[in-house]
Amino acid sequence: MAIAYKKSRAVFSEVAGAEEAEGLLEWLSKHPKGKIDLKECSHLHPANLQVLMASGCAAYVAPSDPGLAAWVASALR
Amino acid sequence: MNPLLEQFLSETRESLQGISEKLMQLEHEPESSELMTELFRYVHTLKGNSGLFDFPELTRVLHAGEDLMDAVREGRLPYSLQMADLLLDAMDFVGMLCDEVEKNGSYGDSYTDDSLRLADVLRKLIGVTAEKKAAVDLEPRPAPTAGQPEAALPLADIPEQVRMRAYRGAAGGSPLHFLSYRPAQDCFFQGDDPFYQARQTPGILWGGIAAQQPWPKLSELDAYSAVLDYQLLSEAPLQELKEYYRYVAEQLEITPVSPRSLILPQGDPNGGPVYEDFVRDAQLLLTGGNFPGLERAVRSMLELSNPELWLASALRWLVLVLELEPEDALTPGAILDSLLSLSAPDWHPLKDASLAPPGGACGAAVQSGAAGKGAQPSSQVGGAIAAAIAAQREILSLPDDAPWLPGRLRAAAASLQGCLLALACTDAIPGLQGALDAALAGLSAASLLSWLKQSPLDAAGDDLPAAELSAEVEHPPAQAQPARQAAAGAAAQPASAEGEVKFGRRAEDGFAAAKSIKVDQVKIDRLMNLIGEMIVAKNALPYLAGRAESVFGVRELSREIKAQYAVINRIAEEMQDSIMQVRMMPVSFVFQRFPRLVRDTSNKLGKEVNLVLEGEDTEADKNIIESLGDPLMHIVRNSLDHGIEAPKVRVAAGKPAAGTLTIRASQESDRVFIEIHDDGKGIDPEVVKRKAYEKGVIDEERLERITDQEAQNLVFAAGFSTAETVSDLSGRGVGMDVVRTAIERVNGTLQLESTKGKGTCIRISLPLSMAVTNVMIVESQGQLFGVPMDAVVETVRVPRSAIRTIKRSMATLLRGRIVPLKSLNALLGLADPQKANAEDELAVLVVSVGDESVGILVDDFHETVEIILKPMAGVLSGLAAYSGSALLGDGSVLMVLNMKEVV
Repeated sequence: MAIAYKKSRAVFSEVAGAEEAEGLLEWLSKHPKGKIDLKECSHLHPANLQVLMASGCAAYVAPSDPGLAAWVASALR
Repeated sequence: MNPLLEQFLSETRESLQGISEKLMQLEHEPESSELMTELFRYVHTLKGNSGLFDFPELTRVLHAGEDLMDAVREGRLPYSLQMADLLLDAMDFVGMLCDEVEKNGSYGDSYTDDSLRLADVLRKLIGVTAEKKAAVDLEPRPAPTAGQPEAALPLADIPEQVRMRAYRGAAGGSPLHFLSYRPAQDCFFQGDDPFYQARQTPGILWGGIAAQQPWPKLSELDAYSAVLDYQLLSEAPLQELKEYYRYVAEQLEITPVSPRSLILPQGDPNGGPVYEDFVRDAQLLLTGGNFPGLERAVRSMLELSNPELWLASALRWLVLVLELEPEDALTPGAILDSLLSLSAPDWHPLKDASLAPPGGACGAAVQSGAAGKGAQPSSQVGGAIAAAIAAQREILSLPDDAPWLPGRLRAAAASLQGCLLALACTDAIPGLQGALDAALAGLSAASLLSWLKQSPLDAAGDDLPAAELSAEVEHPPAQAQPARQAAAGAAAQPASAEGEVKFGRRAEDGFAAAKSIKVDQVKIDRLMNLIGEMIVAKNALPYLAGRAESVFGVRELSREIKAQYAVINRIAEEMQDSIMQVRMMPVSFVFQRFPRLVRDTSNKLGKEVNLVLEGEDTEADKNIIESLGDPLMHIVRNSLDHGIEAPKVRVAAGKPAAGTLTIRASQESDRVFIEIHDDGKGIDPEVVKRKAYEKGVIDEERLERITDQEAQNLVFAAGFSTAETVSDLSGRGVGMDVVRTAIERVNGTLQLESTKGKGTCIRISLPLSMAVTNVMIVESQGQLFGVPMDAVVETVRVPRSAIRTIKRSMATLLRGRIVPLKSLNALLGLADPQKANAEDELAVLVVSVGDESVGILVDDFHETVEIILKPMAGVLSGLAAYSGSALLGDGSVLMVLNMKEVV
């Protein structure tokens, strides 16, 4: 699993594929205030990204990959 | 080129031919849904096939065509002539790409624009008519239109540092492009990751993501419907970007960005009056050309300013511009002006300036982009008009002594009139007409030239610099007509519609010849029969020569006939050879089913088998190859079932757990050999003997004498089976018998060698072709009979004294072996005894029947001939003693004996 769901945090690691989006959507509906940790994430499928965007998630830990961080920053502004 | 691609190309040609045929037919009966369905099927197949290869341009056009066909087929759209034209154009395009692929293995990347335009035109047809009909809208989202103005680009979203870096790069000569990428809504289902694609864009400087619509509630969100837009700033050349996005070219919008438009100061607009003084000083420095002083002043001002301020941002840009382009006064001037107004610098006045923009390459890209899309006709047409006018001027400047001068003058005037129309200067036309009349009257181009000098066209021609003219000539190769002609054409029809993309392959151009043709087998068979008759007719010539000499006594003529015969013989043989070649097929046709068969069968049996196929490209006549299918299948099954042991047994016997089954084909002179070899347990002759005896295949007497080799060959006997139980694979006792019969039917032979515990090898020998049979002619009781050469072992003359009679049958001793003798007359029920020659020797034809040799007593031997063997037909087909008949050169009929049945 590229996304590990903790109590109030979803921790992404490496590449989050399209198949993760459903689970993420479910988790975010249950934890609207959940925090997203993208620190270890190197890429995420746009299905995941649009779920994050739709959830209006404000609190997230930026990815350590600077390229991805810039993209995500523009998306989750 | 790989065979798959070759096949694709040949099929595509056929389909294209089919499509244009159907389109033609549809013009006569536009209501025929049957034709429409067929047409759709063609396009659909073509599209599907093209998807196997890396030809996105091809697939795109075909896909659009398919959608259009689908709409028509379902009655959402009426069929129209315009549609047929467009489809024909699209198919011409496909044909053109195929030509290119055939020639070079692939086509250049210059077709992306054309394919986009074609697909767009086709889709538009669906869109327009569908709207009219208020039917289902196929395109919920409008396709992005090309070339939005620079000002509309969200450049301000890009962080200042990135923009500065881009500006720096552009000053170094790299082009800048802004990309808007809107993936298809269902792209996730096709396994696409547009985000990844965007991240990997070549030369990416910045990327941003935005949602297309406001987000719905989380509970209503469909995570798998792609609704994100990707925006990127890239410094890669346009061509590279197009290449990178060629699969999704219709979802992409590329706008060239001029570096100046990146100069967008941002920040807190609060400032102070102190800036007004600064600006005034700076402007003075600028107009005085004191760039170093200006830079110093700007830098010190920047140090004093709060970096958050809008003004500081503008100053930073100013520093950058001064650093990169120390000679450019206009850009800093505009930035200084903007400092006063606290608004983004206005670049419009600068656009018209003759000064080249810093990124020169970018300007050219704008030009080519516009030319490719045809979206900005003014510049394109302008260029074309300028080219046309320049050409006319050149023509008019030629010496006036040509006899066709009036025609030349009229042509030039017509072109100029076209230019006038294009520029909407219709009021100048009468003047042109007058000048033409004067020129025609005086037979001199001077009046037209002078008219041109003072006409509005002159200015139009001069406005466009020469560089632009040449840029105009460098059109996409698809429109590769001679440049001048293209320019004149564009001038005469300035408002040519977007869809007017001709690919120069209309019906009148003649077709590229197809490399392969499909022919009904009947036709080839007929050809085969004809060449057969030809050979027979040819064989009549030696008889004729003989008659000329013996009957008419003209030796000269006889020799000439023989010489002529040699020529005809050579040609006929070559002809026969060529026709044989046509019928040749590789054995891979039969072999290709074995990997699957072996895999399935061995799985079912729980055995491990490696299949090795060799010599798959060995060729033989189609009939032979086809007759090989079933026998081979039986043999392979037998090998798997009885030959190769279970892995445990194999390991216990010291063999590798996986058995090996080798099928090898090879050709030797006029025969094809197929060898099926397994390293299984082999055939135990003792078991075979016992089983054969139990089943009544052999009697007790035979059981005693039979050799091991012979015993192994008993597996081919009818009704024989070693298997204890009948499985669905083998054991019914018909398999190997069927194999032998089938092989023998095509004049093949079968050999079996087996070593107990080591494995079995079956060798099949087949003739390359069945069409021509070699027979030996023998005579008996005044009649001629043919005996297939395959069966003949030798011909000997045996003195009557050497023939012994054992009980009632005759035999003789040949090289220490007893050969049973049989009289052909007796076998055929003829009354006369065989005749002997003057030395009282009898002619013995030794033939092999099965594994035994039998001597056949005949009256005399004749020559061997090549004949076309015709099987006995009708009432005669019941005569098993004859395998067929053939015509001889002198017109007589030769009966060919079936030795197996006769003996």
